[in-house]
Amino acid sequence: MPIGDWATCEEASSRPQCGGPMAARDLRTRVDSLLLQLLRDLEELEAKRAALNARVEEGWLSLSKARYAMGAKSVGPLQYASRMEPQVCVYTSEAQDGLQKFWVMRASVQTPEDVGPREAALRRRKGHTRTPELESSPAPRDPLNWFGILVPHSLRHAQTSFREGLQLAADMASLQIRIDWGRSQLRGLQEKLKQLEPESA
Amino acid sequence: MLEGAEFYFNVDHGYLEGLVRGCKASLLTQQDYINLVQCETLEDVKIHLQTTDYGNFLANQTNPLTVSKIDTEMRKKLCREFEYFWNHSLEPLSTFFTYMTCSYMIDNVILLMNGALQKKSVKEILVKCHPLGRFTEMEAVNIAETPSDLFNAVLVETPLAPFFQDCMSENTLDELNIELLRNKLYKSYLEAFYKFCKNHGDVTAEIMCPILEFEADRRAFIITLNSFGTELSKDDRETLYPTCGKLYPEGLRLLAQAEDFEQMRRVADHYGVYKPLFEAVGDGSGGKTLEDVFYEREVQMNVLAFNRQFHYGVFYAYTKLKEQEMRNIVWIAECTSQRHRTKINSYIPIV
Repeated sequence: MPIGDWATCEEASSRPQCGGPMAARDLRTRVDSLLLQLLRDLEELEAKRAALNARVEEGWLSLSKARYAMGAKSVGPLQYASRMEPQVCVYTSEAQDGLQKFWVMRASVQTPEDVGPREAALRRRKGHTRTPELESSPAPRDPLNWFGILVPHSLRHAQTSFREGLQLAADMASLQIRIDWGRSQLRGLQEKLKQLEPESA
Repeated sequence: MLEGAEFYFNVDHGYLEGLVRGCKASLLTQQDYINLVQCETLEDVKIHLQTTDYGNFLANQTNPLTVSKIDTEMRKKLCREFEYFWNHSLEPLSTFFTYMTCSYMIDNVILLMNGALQKKSVKEILVKCHPLGRFTEMEAVNIAETPSDLFNAVLVETPLAPFFQDCMSENTLDELNIELLRNKLYKSYLEAFYKFCKNHGDVTAEIMCPILEFEADRRAFIITLNSFGTELSKDDRETLYPTCGKLYPEGLRLLAQAEDFEQMRRVADHYGVYKPLFEAVGDGSGGKTLEDVFYEREVQMNVLAFNRQFHYGVFYAYTKLKEQEMRNIVWIAECTSQRHRTKINSYIPIV
């Protein structure tokens, strides 16, 4: 549909008497395509949710298997510090259509201050994307090593499952925002359609 | 030592052997496991355990019941039984019991040191330490910075002292060095225990030596399997293998060079005992893991120990079987509480 027609249709909707059937048909087409997109997004969200549940369940079961192999007290709260630095951070960015998107990325140690285990503080960087600077401090330790160097494969498997789950969670959050936006758009369009319908009937 | 334990064993140890056989008879049966597997919540598990020899051991636990609390209470019960045996024993059975507790002491020392790395308070960790591995100097473990420090300042008076010969170094205790320390201590301990049993001779040596040989080989395989993809070098890995097993010396040398599971399997194929075990390992996430297969073999050997009389192996075997039972119950409880029942039957029944 060329842009010119849109302009006339938009003017038409503010003057309910003129251009009724054409504007209504265009609106209906828009509503249809929006509804289809919404349903597609919902389907994707359901699939991602099922996958996330499966990953998280898998992760917890793998942790139980690791406890079976290593001893029940070797995989538990004793092995991690009460304050820890996140390995992965959530960034948000604005896409072209003005919607927020969430990204899950490895955190690179960027602050100039000495970040040792003594000064571990929870930092969640949200709000603006960063270009990663060259890091001079050592790479962050793999949390797998909290449980020892020679860990069973079930523990590694648990780590992989939870990592995949993280990515899914970020995707789901972006999808959720898109779905909410889609629903509000749909409601708005349906209102406009109601306004036009009585006139053209 | 004069052969012919049947003539004099009962004088010193007959009461305790009778007692441990009674305890063995009260281990959970297949029917008990079938009942436990059908539980829907941890409260159901608690109710079913009340009908077994465990009785009301969870009666004093506050809500909510967690798997960790169940595990702690089961360990305390085992500890009470073990300490009863230990307190009523005479030499050389008392030394045998001391050897048995050394493995738990090593685990506790490592737990305390890892806790120090994570800046945990000593009190928090002491609560979770294994009760069988308690020793008076435990609270001081976290101040040591190097293994030599640890030995000179803390552990020199404990039964772990003789196992420190290969472990003395001035390296600071980070995660890699703690792992190396754990495995080297355990290697020395296992070799010393093996020598003690061998020197004792008689039925005890006939029963305990194969069990300890299997333990040594199992450790070698598991260390190798877990070291793939880590920063542990092959030379370091070889220093961690206990030498009192069947794999020593050629098998261990081959194992040190292995780089993946297939190469490990080829080493195991040289040994008639280990070939069928590796064949039973399933592929991927479907079948049994190597650890499962080893646990099954351990249970088999420990059950067979009860077919002979007049030896100390029954005490070792009972403790290990009880630990397997605890692992089974914890596994069933975890599957129940996570509502993930597909693998709930992966426990090893003790028949």
